[in-house]
Amino acid sequence: MAFEFTPERLAQFHELLTHYPEEHARAAMLPTLHLAQEQNGYLSQDVQAYVAGLLGVSEAQVLDVVTFYPMFFDAPVGKHIVRVCKTLSCDLCGCREIIEHIKERLEVDFDETTEDGSVTLLSSECLAACDQAPVMMINDDLHGRLTLERVDELMDALE
Amino acid sequence: MGKPKERRILYENIDAPDMHTLDVYRRHGGYASLEKLFDLNAEQLLDIVRDSGLRGRGGAGVSAGFKWNLMGQGEPKYLIANADESEPGTFSNRYILQHKPHMLIEGMIIAAWSLGVHKAYVYVRGEFTLGKKRLDAAIQEAYEAGILGESVAGHDFALDIYTHAGAGAYICGEETGLIESLEGKRGQPRVKPPFFPAAIGVFMQPTMVHNVETLSNLPYIINNGTEWYQSLGAVYKDTPRGVDPMNTGTKLYCVSGHVEKPGVYEVEMGLTVRELVELAGGVRGGNEVKAVIPGGSSAPVLTPYELDVPVDFTCLQMAKTMLGSGGIIVMDETTCTVRALENLMDFYAHESCGQCTPCRVGTPWTRDIVARIEAGKGRPGDVDHLIEVANNVANIDTFTWNTICVFGIAVSWPAVSFARKFRPEFEAHIEQGKCVTLPVSEAVAPPEENYAWPQELPEVERKPTWDY
Ligand SMILES: Cc1cc2nc3c(=O)[nH]c(=O)nc-3n(C[C@H](O)[C@H](O)[C@H](O)COP(=O)(O)O)c2cc1C
Ligand code: SF4
Ligand code: FES
Repeated sequence: MAFEFTPERLAQFHELLTHYPEEHARAAMLPTLHLAQEQNGYLSQDVQAYVAGLLGVSEAQVLDVVTFYPMFFDAPVGKHIVRVCKTLSCDLCGCREIIEHIKERLEVDFDETTEDGSVTLLSSECLAACDQAPVMMINDDLHGRLTLERVDELMDALE
Repeated sequence: MGKPKERRILYENIDAPDMHTLDVYRRHGGYASLEKLFDLNAEQLLDIVRDSGLRGRGGAGVSAGFKWNLMGQGEPKYLIANADESEPGTFSNRYILQHKPHMLIEGMIIAAWSLGVHKAYVYVRGEFTLGKKRLDAAIQEAYEAGILGESVAGHDFALDIYTHAGAGAYICGEETGLIESLEGKRGQPRVKPPFFPAAIGVFMQPTMVHNVETLSNLPYIINNGTEWYQSLGAVYKDTPRGVDPMNTGTKLYCVSGHVEKPGVYEVEMGLTVRELVELAGGVRGGNEVKAVIPGGSSAPVLTPYELDVPVDFTCLQMAKTMLGSGGIIVMDETTCTVRALENLMDFYAHESCGQCTPCRVGTPWTRDIVARIEAGKGRPGDVDHLIEVANNVANIDTFTWNTICVFGIAVSWPAVSFARKFRPEFEAHIEQGKCVTLPVSEAVAPPEENYAWPQELPEVERKPTWDY
């Protein structure tokens, strides 16, 4: 079945539209895509077509945006998204060891999903939390001052 | 001389429990500026902001008053708070969103009233989930309390503020990239001129874009006046305030890397790099400093010879670097500077938006040269080659760029400064065909070779309040 927003999300979408001038509905693109990804997990062609219809733009214009921003997924991802920062302050504080450990433990490389579909591992650029380096995000939550033990605890808690 | 001291204004009470709520913010004096604000007109407010000397905290350090003066006449006008915070080494805006979001709202009300804006946006970095949640809740509270909406604080002035989440692209911090992104497009910076969106910005209307920290200064300036604000910050010996280039106020310095106590330190502008490192607990394990980036990863790196530079707009510029976003990254003697540069070039190669060829092609090219030097596969002449390629993206000596936005400069500044200042370490990699971390004294090129400053740095007058 083709993708559609749930009634609550459709209402949220209509509220979003009021944030922008009427003739600039396209401005709601990023928030609408966030909303759609929240519901569907990733932005399939179906979803993109639906968003294009809602905003009155072409599917190509949606694809153009989806492929520009690293936080939008155009293919299925795992149940959990793990983003590990690899930029300078984290590197100075030992993120390479953390990254190696996570890769070994999950048996995946960056941009891959574990076989059971539980975790997609991504690298991230500076997460603006360098005072807590090394850091990573698991879904919406930031975790800092990582040690190998702490990483194991966090991974154990993931289903 | 005692030890340098913090001077908290924006970060005052930021750790107080529930400071992100309206009640607690008000109990600590929040929104007091609104009682004075509506008695002042646009002209008076422009004078206040200009005279305060407030300069943008987002990177370029443009005078806020200068920018306000350029605001176009068309209607409607817009205000955007830039909360994209993605310059490596910078993390002060995050805590404002998470712990003191009402301060940003208060600052935005002041700017909006001054500039005749009725719709404002906060462009929040996509990864800032907690920050956005707290800010959304604060905006909601402000509407319910009549601080936002049809009639701001009971006055004949309407203002709506909306948050808008980004989706993980560094370039959306550049103000015209941000505007494109806000309009629902790829975040590709616009061709200049106009040099400021104040002329033509979002939806082709006059738009004021300010960093979160810049806006957060406004409530304190309105509450305490320009003279008070001018009394904060660096004053140069023999140069009366008002004549010297403005370095007023405090700055939220983000210190990270090899220090004992990384964190945000709010101090008056004018302390030296060395003092800021000391404030952050000193170098870890009592190690020696090898390199310090003073203003976010795009700022040219400083060597141990250059640690007595005052960290303000003027002095850092004279030292051929910049205050930028205030992100101070400290590297100790164990650091390989080639590896550090490779890390940064990886970042820039990944984040180039791709619309100009020198940047799209030159940035990965620069990265590849550094990577092969680090991997022990460097060739003789690679250091000069590296400098040449980077300088062709943007030339740091003539300060000209072949690109649409200054991302190009942000690439070549670190690339060329690392390669020149730590040339011996780069050359050692090439000669020995492997990664070698030289002791600090051997890794750094002598100052007179590469970074003799054009002028004497001005001497900053020490204030008694700066020390314990
Ligand atoms: C590549 C690039 C990235 C930038 N990133 C940010 C950022 O994350 N946050 C920010 O406030 N300004 C950033 N800026 C600066 C903005 O373009 C703009 O100058 C600033 O938001 C203006 O605010 P201010 O006047 O308060 O400094 C960036 C600039 C460039 C060239
Ligand atoms: S300089 Fe780089 S980031 Fe800036 S517009 Fe050109 S390609 Fe994009
Ligand atoms: S470098 Fe990792 S959070 Fe900044």
